[in-house]
Amino acid sequence: MIKGSVKQDARENRAAKFLVSGPPLLFLVVFFVAPSLIMVLTSFRFPGEFGGLAPIAAPAGASPGEYGLTAEAYQFFFGDILYARIFLKSFGVAATTTLICLIMAYPLALLIARSKKSFRNLMVLLVVLPFASNFLIRIYAWMIILGPESGLSYFINTVLGAFGIGPVALLFSPFAVLVGMVYVHLPFMVLPLYTNLEKHDSSLLDAAQDLGATRWQRFWRVTWPLSLPGVFSGSALVFIPVLGMFAVPDILGGTGDILIGNLIKDQFLGTRDWPFGSALSIMLTLAVLSIAGMATWFARSTIRQRAES
Amino acid sequence: MKLGRFPATPFAAFIIVLGWLVLSIAGCARQDENAAFSGKGKNILHIFNWNNYIAPKTVRHFEESCKCELSQDYYSDNEEMLAKLAAGATGYDLIVPTGNAVHALIRQGALKPLDKSLLPNLKNINLAYLDTAFDPGNEYSVPYAYTLTLLGFNQEKIQELGLPIDTWAIIFEPKYLEKIKGRVTVLDSQRELMAAALKYLGYSVNDADEEHWKQAADLIVRAKPYWTAFSNASYVRELATGNVWVAHGYSNDMFQAALDAKNTGRKFTIGYSTPREGAVLALDSMVLHRSGTHPDLAHQFINFMLDGKNSAELTNLIGSGNPNMDAMQYIRPEIANNKAIFPDPELLTRLEMLRDLDRKQRRLLSRLWTEIKLR
Repeated sequence: MIKGSVKQDARENRAAKFLVSGPPLLFLVVFFVAPSLIMVLTSFRFPGEFGGLAPIAAPAGASPGEYGLTAEAYQFFFGDILYARIFLKSFGVAATTTLICLIMAYPLALLIARSKKSFRNLMVLLVVLPFASNFLIRIYAWMIILGPESGLSYFINTVLGAFGIGPVALLFSPFAVLVGMVYVHLPFMVLPLYTNLEKHDSSLLDAAQDLGATRWQRFWRVTWPLSLPGVFSGSALVFIPVLGMFAVPDILGGTGDILIGNLIKDQFLGTRDWPFGSALSIMLTLAVLSIAGMATWFARSTIRQRAES
Repeated sequence: MKLGRFPATPFAAFIIVLGWLVLSIAGCARQDENAAFSGKGKNILHIFNWNNYIAPKTVRHFEESCKCELSQDYYSDNEEMLAKLAAGATGYDLIVPTGNAVHALIRQGALKPLDKSLLPNLKNINLAYLDTAFDPGNEYSVPYAYTLTLLGFNQEKIQELGLPIDTWAIIFEPKYLEKIKGRVTVLDSQRELMAAALKYLGYSVNDADEEHWKQAADLIVRAKPYWTAFSNASYVRELATGNVWVAHGYSNDMFQAALDAKNTGRKFTIGYSTPREGAVLALDSMVLHRSGTHPDLAHQFINFMLDGKNSAELTNLIGSGNPNMDAMQYIRPEIANNKAIFPDPELLTRLEMLRDLDRKQRRLLSRLWTEIKLR
């Protein structure tokens, strides 16, 4: 009797789980798995003469060899060190952006989380406020801020000039790309950090203080380890979108600022080479997934280590 | 919680079926939408056009004369237009692509032939712009307007520095570039920039010889450190505000930059000229898309736009080149006499239209371009 109801409970529990996880699962299937499969197929086909794809089956009277499936796009990708270099460069930019965002966002998130409750919502609102205006307009605004005639340029070059360093151009440079990337993605780092830091129990810090911990020790031994989940999710929210970003390097970048996002966009527009664009996207997805996998593994093992010690 | 019990496998199956349904419904909805788009509202002419490529008053006049409505969708480059059509966009009666894109559309079988008996005004078009390589005999296309890819510059600065303005050397030769380092932009376009480099080396813009491409790429790589950016649009503003002194770009954009500099009362003027080595001429033509449902209205529109007065309105607005001989009398003299917009016959022989590359060439050029950018 009792056994049966436990079994029934477990079954109901499972049904409830499915009902809760069903819609997101469906979303993933429809908007991630299915498009990814289409992309995999696309990457093994021949590009159409006018964009799009060559038909899989050769129409009557057409020259052979241009139809069906091919690994040509991947041969092209692995046949040249060029593409590995552009991947490496993009990952470098993404990692740098993430690090800068983290360094800038952490104090801010901490400040918001530790301030009075009535201020918190206002401050969070201020962090989110830039989203109210269009992303491109905000990037164009940076063109004016960083432009050679701007006050900022004038100030920086006056300071540098005092040290005998020649005038530098801020706009159209890797620096401008980094500024744009950090600016756009900063809120994505602040918000997860804030939601994490806000939940911390302040009595832990009091206890640490009572036990003689210095300010730094309290941060490094208590707050920081507890905030790691926020750090990881914030980093993922910044790192991954930066990899796909093409508008910022397009608008703010100089003559050498091409990233993987630009290259992929180019394959679908200028070059009209969908298979190669798909192959590039798939390689990017694989790279991101493997990095995410490594990060999860790393996060788990550090948390386990800390728990053990 | 009392929830229905269903075991795992049927539920997963249910999800898959539901997903399938969502996808197929979405597919149907799209077809319906397209049908509605082209079917309903009998007197709407659907045009797929460049941004700002028809004067508002011309639209008004046409709508009055045909008792119909003009509906426009816009693109900002040919590739975008081709990509949208390749992805299945339909319902357009009329498109205004550049020559190489016209060629691609013809080979694709995406266009309807024109009925020239409905186009008496075709006689107004200068013979130099008819019977082109991309559409011999103008079976499918009628010239609309053109732009030249040339050099725009800050007149005062260039005079002050004593630089030549009628040669591509100014954006490729370090001896000139040294004086304008960081003040030069070039187009962010594989074809256009390669065309300029090929022309400077004395080759055709359509040269697809890999050795010549390499020479052109070397020329570009050598000059690249002196350029400030690859720019397709922002150079108009940068030139007009004085941040950039020399820009590789389109004639109608230079017209705009010159106008902006003048209207904001800058102390300098923006000039533009076609390099003597020759340049790219982009002839935009009106074509009928196969999916269009108003061929009569479309012909009526083409004939209307071939009228000199209507055609001149666009040139007066954006400074586009005009292949219409009858339009010259209506074009403001400062534009009509501008050699950079209306090249003399001698220069005209050195202008070339870009031809489409095949897929292998496109892939190779893209790799070369990536290499150039990464260097």
